[in-house]
Amino acid sequence: MSELPKKTFVITRFDPDKDQVPKTQTYEIECRPDWKVLDAINFIKDEVDPTLSHRWSCRMAVCGSCGMNVNGEPKLTCKTSLAEYGDVVEIEPLANFPIVRDLVVDFESFMEKFRSVKPWIIRAKEKAPEEGTCSQSPEELEAFRHFSMCINCMLCYAACPVVANAPEFLGPAAIALGHRYNLDSRDEGAAERNEIFRGEGTIFECSYANECSEVCPKNVDPAAAINQAKLLAVLDWAKGLVLPRKGGS
Amino acid sequence: MLEVVRHDVLIVGGGGAGLRAAIAAVEADPRISVGLVSKVYPMRSHTVSAEGGAAAVARDDDSLEMHAKDTVKGSDFLADQDVVDYFVQEAARELTLLEHWGCPFSREPDGRVSVRAFGGMAAKRTWFAADKIGFHMLHTLFQHSMRFDRIVRYDEQFVTRLLVDGGAVRGVAALDVREGVVRVFLGRAVILTTGGAGKCFAFTTNGNIKTGDGMALAYRAGVPLKDMEFVQYHPTGLPGTGILITEAARGEGGTLKNSEGERFLVTRDYGVGQKAELGPRDMISRAIIQEMMAGRGIKGPYGEYVHLDLTHLGEKKIDERLPFVRLLSTTYAGVDPVHQPIPIRPVVHYMMGGVDVDIDGRTLLPGLYAAGETACVSLNGANRLGSNSLTECLVFGARTGRHAVAYARGASDGDESRLRALGQEEAARIDALRGSRRGGERLAGIRHDMQHTMEQGCGVYREQPSMQETVRTLAQIRRRYAALALDDRSKVFNTELIAALELGNMLDVAEAVANAAVARKESRGAHTCFDFPKRNDQEYLHHSLVWFGEAGPRVDKKAVTITRFQPEERKY
Amino acid sequence: MARSWNPHAMQPHGPARTRTAPPQVPDRFWSAPRMRRYLLFDATGLVYLLIGFVILRAVWALGDGGEAWARVLRDYRNPLYLLFHAVTLLSVIYVGVRFFGLFPKAQPPRIGPVKPPPRPVLHALLYAAWGVVTLGLLLVLGGVIA
Repeated sequence: MSELPKKTFVITRFDPDKDQVPKTQTYEIECRPDWKVLDAINFIKDEVDPTLSHRWSCRMAVCGSCGMNVNGEPKLTCKTSLAEYGDVVEIEPLANFPIVRDLVVDFESFMEKFRSVKPWIIRAKEKAPEEGTCSQSPEELEAFRHFSMCINCMLCYAACPVVANAPEFLGPAAIALGHRYNLDSRDEGAAERNEIFRGEGTIFECSYANECSEVCPKNVDPAAAINQAKLLAVLDWAKGLVLPRKGGS
Repeated sequence: MLEVVRHDVLIVGGGGAGLRAAIAAVEADPRISVGLVSKVYPMRSHTVSAEGGAAAVARDDDSLEMHAKDTVKGSDFLADQDVVDYFVQEAARELTLLEHWGCPFSREPDGRVSVRAFGGMAAKRTWFAADKIGFHMLHTLFQHSMRFDRIVRYDEQFVTRLLVDGGAVRGVAALDVREGVVRVFLGRAVILTTGGAGKCFAFTTNGNIKTGDGMALAYRAGVPLKDMEFVQYHPTGLPGTGILITEAARGEGGTLKNSEGERFLVTRDYGVGQKAELGPRDMISRAIIQEMMAGRGIKGPYGEYVHLDLTHLGEKKIDERLPFVRLLSTTYAGVDPVHQPIPIRPVVHYMMGGVDVDIDGRTLLPGLYAAGETACVSLNGANRLGSNSLTECLVFGARTGRHAVAYARGASDGDESRLRALGQEEAARIDALRGSRRGGERLAGIRHDMQHTMEQGCGVYREQPSMQETVRTLAQIRRRYAALALDDRSKVFNTELIAALELGNMLDVAEAVANAAVARKESRGAHTCFDFPKRNDQEYLHHSLVWFGEAGPRVDKKAVTITRFQPEERKY
Repeated sequence: MARSWNPHAMQPHGPARTRTAPPQVPDRFWSAPRMRRYLLFDATGLVYLLIGFVILRAVWALGDGGEAWARVLRDYRNPLYLLFHAVTLLSVIYVGVRFFGLFPKAQPPRIGPVKPPPRPVLHALLYAAWGVVTLGLLLVLGGVIA
C-alpha cells in the first residue's frame, strides 16, 4: 500500500493515579483522507497506545459520546473530517468539565441539571392508553421538534462563556430540553418549569453569546430556546401576579 | 472491602428494553426498587441509532391477524406464534404509552400519528418520528424514567459476572469503569437487556458497545443461546463505515439499482414479487449479493456496492421524512441523496437469536430474565421484519419487567457471605487481568481476526467448509485470547480493560453463532447456504440451542410453537 | 493548548469519586474572534453605566436651577465628553444591530393564540421602530416639535 499522508496529534493525557496535572502526548500516524477525527483516535488506541482512554459508540453523530475539543473548538469527533485540519491536530477533553482521565470528562453535573428541569410530560390527569394517542397537529409538533433533537453531547457547555464562569447556570442543553417540554402541546407543566427557570436555574445569566448554537452539531439552536424561555418565564411570572395559581406548584 | 448494593430487581443495560422494563417494574409495585446498571449512560445505548419506525396496527385497513401473519411469514415460520399473537395485541398500547410520555411521532394533518410502509408488511403500520425513531424513543423513555426515584441508575458499571447461589441468580458483579473497583449488586431478579452483538463482525451498523455482554453472561451461567445462526444483514449500509441507511428510505419510495441502472428487484426474480424494494430484509440482502456475484455491482474503495436511488423523491420529501438519511449520506459517503444515488451494501445489523427465554422473559435459571435484542423470545424467528424490534423492546421489556417483579416478591435472598466471596473472586480476576502480559497477543489484532473470520464464514451466503473453518479459527482465537498482552495498568477509566472483557464476551457469542450455523443444514430466513439451498421443514423446523461447554459448545434443538399459521412456501 | 480557568465549572455536587483535573478552557477561548465580538457586546454595559452617571448629573443640575444647568451644558461641550457620547452612540448601534439579529429567534412559536411575524417582517418592524423613535427625538431636540 502506498504511504498515506502523516498527521501529528497532540493529545491531552491525564491519569489521576500518576499525574498531578494533565499533560500532552504527541503521536504521528498515517491518516486516510476520508477519516474522521475519531478514526484517528481509535487507530492510535488500537495500534499505537492502548492506554489512551476516550468515549465513543455509534460513530454516526447520534449517541453524543465522542465530544472533545479539537484545535480549541468543541466538536463531535465522529462527525468531524480530518481533512479540515492541517498537519497538527490538538485534541483535548471537552472544555468546562472536570477531567477524569485523558479525553474523558465528568458530566454528572450535567445529569443533575438535566433532571432538574423535569424533562417529562407533566399532566394534571394521566391519559389511559385505551383513550388512544393525543392529538397533535404537524404545526404543534414543529413548534418544539427541533428542540427535541439534542443528543446530550454537551458541546454547548464547552462553548458557553457563562458555563465557564457560573457553576449554577443550567446551561444550554438543559434549558433547551425544559423549553422543549414547555412548548409540547401535550404538556401542562410549564408553570413548574418556569419557576425553576426563574429560580435556581438562573436562565437569565445567559447573555446572548450564541456560542452554544454555533457549535451544536444537531442544529438544536439552544440559544433560541433559552431566549424564548426567558420571555415565556417572565410572561408566566406576570400572569402569576395578576391571576393567582390554583393550589401549589 | 467489597461494596454491596441492594435492590429488588436489577436491570443490566439501559436501552429501549431495559428502560421500559424499569418503568414497568416500578409501576407494577410501588414498594420495589430497581437498580439500572449500564456500561454507558443510557442515552448512549444503541437504541438511539434506530431510524425507520416502530410497528403497531393503527389503521382500519389493517388487523392484528395481518400483522401476526406478516411477522410469522417474515420469520420463515420459526417465530413462536403465541409470542407473536401477544406482541401484535400489545403493540399499539405500548406505542400509545410512548406517545403519552412525549415521543414526537410524525403526524397527519388531522392530528393522528402517521404510519409508513415497511419491508414485509402488508399494510402501513410503522409509526415514525421523521427518520429518528430510535433516538426519540430512547430519549423519551430515559427522560420519563427520571420521574421515578425508585429507579436508581448506576452508569458506566460493566457487569462481568452473574452471581448464582442455591441454583438461582441473586445479583451481579460489576466493574466501576471510572473507579476501577468491582462491586456486588444484589437483586432477587436480574433482567439482561444489553442488546445484540454486531461487533463480532467486521462490517456492521452497530456501535462500539454492541458486544453481546448479556448473551455471554447468560451463556457462561449455563443458559442456552437460541437461534444464534440467524444474523440479520440489513440491505442498506454505507460501504466502509457500515452506517445504517434506514429501510424507510425504501418505504418512502427509494429504489435499488445495479451497475447497469437496472431496478433488479423488479426486473429479475428474487422472490419478492410486487413488494420489490419492500420485500423482507433477508431476501433483499441476498438479491444484492447475487447481483454483485453476477458482476453487476459497482466497484468502490471499500468493496462493491449497489445504488439506493432517492433522487425522484424530491428535496422537500427527503427533508421532511428522511432528513437524517440525507445528513448521514452527505457526511459519511459524500453523496447528497437529493441529487445522487446512495452507495449501499448489506451489513450486519441485528441478531434474531439470543438468550433462550419464554414469553415472560424467563430463562431456565431462576431469577434470570432477558428482553429486547439480547433475548430470543422468539418473536423474529429466522428473519426479523423491520420496525418490529423497537416495539418488541417495549412489549417484552414491559412484560418481563412485570414478571421479574412478581418473581422477586416471592424469591429469597441467597447467602450473602457466599455471594460476597464470589464477588471477591471476580474482583481478583479483574485486577489480575488489568494491564497483564500473558503472552504476546494484541487485543486489536485478535478482535480484527475474529471479525474477519465471522465475515468469511457467517456472511449472507454460507457453506459448510467456510463455516467449519470459522469454528476452527474461533477456537484458535480463544487460545490466543488467553495469551493477551495488555498495556494499561491504570484503575481509573481503563477502556483497554473494558475492551478486553468485551472481546471475551464477543468470542463466546461468535462461537455460538458459528456452531449453530454449522449445525443448521438448510436455508431458512437469514441463514442461507449454497450447499443446502432449500428450507427443510422435515428436519429443521425447530429452534437451535447452543450450550456452553469447557470442551466446546453443544448444539441442541427446541420446538417452535405453531398455532394458526402453518409453514408454507415463503413467496411475496 | 488549554489551561485551567474556573475550578468550579460543571463540578458535581456529590464528593468526587476519583480525583479529577480542574476544567480547562482552550487558550483561544476568550480571544477567538466570535467570542471577542460577544465580549464587546457585553462590555458596552460599562458604557451605559457611565452614560447613566453623565445623564444623572445633568438631571440633578436641572433641579438646582438655570445656572447649574448652564454650567453642566458647558462642561459637556468638552471634546472628551463629545468623544464619550460618540462611543456611546456606536455602542448602542452595535448592540442594537446584534440584538435585532438575535431577536427573531428569541420569539416563541406562539404566545397564547398569537404567532410572531416572519423574520424579515420582524427585522423591518424593529428597524422601523428605531428609525421612528430616532426621528421623533431629533425633531424634539431640534425644537421642531414640543
